[in-house]
Amino acid sequence: MAKHKTPLLDQLETGPWPSFVSDIKREAESRAKNERNIEYQIPQDVCEDLLGVLELSFKQGRTHWKHGGIVGVFGYGGGVIGRYCDQPEQFPGVAHFHTMRVNQPGGKFYTTKFLKDLCDLWEFRGSGITNMHGSTGDIVFLGTTTPQLEEIFYELTHNLNQDLGGSGSNLRTPSDCIGQARCEYACYDTQALCYNLTQDYQDELHRPAFPYKFKFKFDGCPNCCVASIARADMSYIGTWRDDIRIDQKAVNAYVGGELAPNAGAHSGRDWGPFDIQKEVINLCPTNCMRYEDGKLDINNRECTRCMHCINVMPRALRIGNDRGLSILVGAKAPILNGAQMSTMLVPFIKVEEPYDEIKEVIEAIWDWWMEEGKNRERLGELMKRQGLQKLLEVTGLKPDARMVQEPRANPYIFWKEEEVEGGFERDINEFRKYHQR
Amino acid sequence: MAFISSGYNPDKPMEDRITDIGPKKYDEFYPPIIAKNKGKWLYHEILEPGVLVHVSETGDEVYTVRVGGCRLMSVSHIREICEIADKHCDGHLRFTTRNNIEFMVDSKDKVAPLKEDLLSRKQPGGCYKFPVGGTGAGITNIIHTQGWIHCHTPATDASGPVKAAMDVLFEDFVNMRLPAQLRVSLACCLNMCGAVHCSDIAILGYHRKPPLLDHEYLDKMCEIPLAIAACPTAAIRPAKVDFEGTKVNSVVLKEERCMFCGNCYTMCPSMPLADDVGDGIVIMAGGKVSNRISAPKFSKVVVAFLPNDSPRWPQTTEVIKKIVEAYAKDANKYERLGEWAERIGWERFFEKCELEFTHHLIDDFRDPAYFTWRQTTQFKF
Amino acid sequence: MEYEEAKEKIVEGLKKKKGKTKFYFNDLAKILDEKPRAAKKLITKMIEEQVLEYWSSGSTSLYGLKGYGKQAQAEEKE
Repeated sequence: MAKHKTPLLDQLETGPWPSFVSDIKREAESRAKNERNIEYQIPQDVCEDLLGVLELSFKQGRTHWKHGGIVGVFGYGGGVIGRYCDQPEQFPGVAHFHTMRVNQPGGKFYTTKFLKDLCDLWEFRGSGITNMHGSTGDIVFLGTTTPQLEEIFYELTHNLNQDLGGSGSNLRTPSDCIGQARCEYACYDTQALCYNLTQDYQDELHRPAFPYKFKFKFDGCPNCCVASIARADMSYIGTWRDDIRIDQKAVNAYVGGELAPNAGAHSGRDWGPFDIQKEVINLCPTNCMRYEDGKLDINNRECTRCMHCINVMPRALRIGNDRGLSILVGAKAPILNGAQMSTMLVPFIKVEEPYDEIKEVIEAIWDWWMEEGKNRERLGELMKRQGLQKLLEVTGLKPDARMVQEPRANPYIFWKEEEVEGGFERDINEFRKYHQR
Repeated sequence: MAFISSGYNPDKPMEDRITDIGPKKYDEFYPPIIAKNKGKWLYHEILEPGVLVHVSETGDEVYTVRVGGCRLMSVSHIREICEIADKHCDGHLRFTTRNNIEFMVDSKDKVAPLKEDLLSRKQPGGCYKFPVGGTGAGITNIIHTQGWIHCHTPATDASGPVKAAMDVLFEDFVNMRLPAQLRVSLACCLNMCGAVHCSDIAILGYHRKPPLLDHEYLDKMCEIPLAIAACPTAAIRPAKVDFEGTKVNSVVLKEERCMFCGNCYTMCPSMPLADDVGDGIVIMAGGKVSNRISAPKFSKVVVAFLPNDSPRWPQTTEVIKKIVEAYAKDANKYERLGEWAERIGWERFFEKCELEFTHHLIDDFRDPAYFTWRQTTQFKF
Repeated sequence: MEYEEAKEKIVEGLKKKKGKTKFYFNDLAKILDEKPRAAKKLITKMIEEQVLEYWSSGSTSLYGLKGYGKQAQAEEKE
């Protein structure tokens, strides 16, 4: 018999898609039965109260959570988000309901051993409810009490060799795409770079000293599966600078219909026979491809590596061999001045351990932003306020037409004195010799 | 419920403390076939919805079965995932960036039993626990934020509308009939923890009423300077306010400047802004993050407001379904939703999706608004 | 700057500010008149010695003298 009646939530227990309501009820039952005789460290009926408070929100159309800012683990400024219920008498099991962010492994690969260890810990010391995974990429432990935070952290670090992730004004937990682990498009080892930078910048991740949040995301290719270009202050996107590798035999196998285009992604509808002219050549954004006499020709110098032809014919076309990544900077979600995409800063950089060249760019940017950034100003907003030129100055990078969509359409260049021959100091008397008052 | 210590000593927090160790190293968790073939993959193919094969230059093949999942997940459910991975995948699995779960096996004959096992598992109400799909030119899992389950400033729930929407879109999760992939995302307020601003279709919670001011308690519970500093539009200022005949320290609000972000409530619990009638959903469309063919784009607001008609948000799911169907019918192969809208023109988009164009959809927020107005005589009747 | 001197400056500087107990990192760096990276080393030590404590809005972090402020009282009660 459920502790709270949940007639509204119950309506989300039908239909084909997995029901989170059924899942929370399952956890509630499991805790009530407690077949493994666990000495639960937070209320046994926490999941029932969670359903109860959620039902109330469904009924009233309003949240019942309050923020708490002080809770955390000692010495870390991030990784814990404090939550309190605004109806603690009615739902005592969730009166304290803090979140912990646990830094996910690269590529989100797991062994069941590790996942089960996490489950055991979280069932014992928390609600047993998680997010796999949060928006930034962390494993999220959803709901525990203040006294349990240090205990969980202690067990994570001592028994599972596992640290928390970031929150607040620090480096947020970096995240990556599956990369070379299982993708032929990956132009660099996203997991290796992500891990290396995460380890190198642990202090920045745990102890907030930035003006605001800062995100790293690692995409292996311009398909951008982790959306780095839309949401990372520094987006690392794989690319190459030589030729797309072509297997002409395979090209003709696509043309002849022996291979399914787009790796079979369109098989749910009859789109007619594959037409290389219409589906590849004509859709190439730079018109740099030709298919004549059974041979595909790419003018690679004109190619902008949009991935379309490679996505359509993955067995015939492959990324080039001279690979690296582009660094784009300054993306953010809307608040305040509207959303921003990342802007091209370093068109090409080789990805070689120990990644010193990349770290030089990162640290130059941080030094600038930490000194010049206003409170709660993202990097992209500082760039807008002080200009892309300023960013080039602090990073020591040379201006490059690849950094802009187009040159400026206004001539209002604020020339600096040292840029103009002779400077700004002039003799008015000398001028008056030739020009009357 | 006796307190059981982990070994942590609260009197000496630094004693024996381990910090700054970071995440587990990725390669500890690779399945053997991934470890062996990393960086050697030649090509992949989607064999059927939800089933992929990746072929390596070593001749190895890895078969992946992708299943949808709620990102809100219990440890019981995770243990069931582990049980499946132990049975079929030698104890390995991974999650995708869109909250899907991927089970990998090293030969084709292992796929059918795995798939059969996954699809046989259902919840008491008949929902699939592990629906197979989410690949190719279809709709994969909706990424989302916390909503009413945990957030203090949401304007809508997250898991609820996602469940309702995925039920309506389910056919496109298990199929690949669309012109291109279609990404749906949900953020429960405009702070967008979920960064939904570049999605083909974005469901965005939005408040429409400024915060309430609890004058009696405001100065007792909050540091007024912090609440003021939290406001991105400088709409809050300190003031002495009459409360039941006495002057109390509090704040006043320039209501027309409020953009309903809830940042003040984060700093000051005496400024709640949740409201059953004021809060609801904005629908945005046409964004993408991929650089394929055209540049990444932002989503545009196509419906200014829909109410929180819980538990199943029928008005929201109906709009989404209409957009998906119009797109499926009309777009060219490979064309993303935003590319389609730009090709046919946004005036045609509203017509084909049977959506009303209202004054709220015209940008009036700061400078960039101007660039979204039409400065050409080229338009369609 | 020596740690003890820095601590004194911070404690004094923060107590002086009336009606406010939470501060951004940059406010502290300004009190110390140090570059951010140098300031961070000192401030981290003050956290470890429990002179200062963090306060997080989830998206932004603030610093305050330990135990000071209305939030501290409210959350202790919870």
